[in-house]
Amino acid sequence: MPQFGSDIFLLIANWIRGLFGANTYAADVVMDIVKFIMIYVVLVLAVMVFVMLERKVCAWMQLRVGPNRLGPRGWGQIIGDMIKLMGKEDFRPDNVDKWPWALAPMFFLGITIMVFAVLPFGRGMVPVDLDLGIFYILAISALSVLPVVTAGWASNNKYSLLGGMRSVAQMISYEIPLVFSLLGVVMITQTFKTSAIVEAQQHVWFVLLQPIGFVVYVIAAMAEINRAPFDLIEAESEFGCGYFTEYSGLRFGLFYLAEYANLFLISAVAATVFLGGWQGPFLPGWLWFAIKVLFMVFLIMWFRWTFPRFRVDQLMHFGWKVLLPLSLANIVLTGVGIYVYQLIFPGIGG
Amino acid sequence: MFGKGLIKGLGITGKHLFNRKVTEFYPEQKPVLPPRTRSSMYLDVPKCTACGICANTCPNNVITITSGKDENNKRVLTGYTMDTGRCLFCGLCTEACPSKALHTTTEFENAVYVKDELLWDMMKKYKADASKQEEGKDNG
Repeated sequence: MPQFGSDIFLLIANWIRGLFGANTYAADVVMDIVKFIMIYVVLVLAVMVFVMLERKVCAWMQLRVGPNRLGPRGWGQIIGDMIKLMGKEDFRPDNVDKWPWALAPMFFLGITIMVFAVLPFGRGMVPVDLDLGIFYILAISALSVLPVVTAGWASNNKYSLLGGMRSVAQMISYEIPLVFSLLGVVMITQTFKTSAIVEAQQHVWFVLLQPIGFVVYVIAAMAEINRAPFDLIEAESEFGCGYFTEYSGLRFGLFYLAEYANLFLISAVAATVFLGGWQGPFLPGWLWFAIKVLFMVFLIMWFRWTFPRFRVDQLMHFGWKVLLPLSLANIVLTGVGIYVYQLIFPGIGG
Repeated sequence: MFGKGLIKGLGITGKHLFNRKVTEFYPEQKPVLPPRTRSSMYLDVPKCTACGICANTCPNNVITITSGKDENNKRVLTGYTMDTGRCLFCGLCTEACPSKALHTTTEFENAVYVKDELLWDMMKKYKADASKQEEGKDNG
């Protein structure tokens, strides 16, 4: 179906490639750079929107109006927030472990940006279409526990260290249900390729075929990015601000950016794997993708401003005794379902 | 059913998302305070007999009164200051006032930049208020 404006970005990409004529190597290099810059720009803009949305949604749910001074109805507040964050002093406490302390926020954001490389932002708009896309997402995002624990350790502060330690326990526990919840979709599509998974959802979204997988994914992903109600890592009432207690100014800003980039990431993966990615009628693909991501972001914000924080033992109990069996049962059910389907329609599927 | 509470909670926050907001836009929109709010003091100078009961009643020594004698050898008020840095606006002075000259008022924007401005000259305040009312009458 030809859609109005659906190929704007593809046309621009083709035009850039056209500039280099037959020199495909140069065109590839330039396109990679352009893709990286585009990912970064989209990420920063999305984070700005999400931060603003978070403040407004949280205010509305508490019967407040939220920021209302800068810009129309206060929606320009994010500019003030950013200027404030950039204008702050970059303070390094005396006894921190200098290099790990300085590198941790950069790695945290860098790892998050790396994952965006394999997400299909629209029809034919996958920056790098890896065959092992889902595998790559899981592998790289699992690394993000390291900068957190590095920041906690290098800060030389017991509260930061406690936050970092909790992050290891929490992220590793919830990694397993997260991986298993995505496995069901991979079993149906027989591929790890993100673009192929989106193509496979042309007629039916996988949220309908994999409702348990979707629920487990959303819960585990929220725990994975340390968002409330799973924000034990930065539980203010328990230990200051967790692993970023000792950070200020732009370094704190990097953690903040990475946190919302992670929110974007899990929403984008949910939209790609369960909600049909860029598939949708009338509107261009990248707009559908944006709408689905915004829906997921709103859902997660809704959870955050409704549910109270878990206790540590409840968190572990829930992860290992509820989510893990649930995701395993989902895999068994999916396997049986595929087997039955193949008995009824022989020759379809792998 | 397990998880029913979660859905109920989501329902409440979801409803609140669209409910009317209770925020008051303060500087543009002044709050309507109850009439007996004690947040500022006002002295009706002609009613005051300078008896000094208010100054005696005050637990924090906020009120300082100076008085003199007029031609009929009657006591008149010459100065009335309140150090509102110490004042709690408890209202004991207004209760003690036998001639009902001292009131509490609902005016609440009393913040000042300099410590000395916390010393309120109540007679000056009365005069400024009276002249303001005169102006209002002239204009009206």
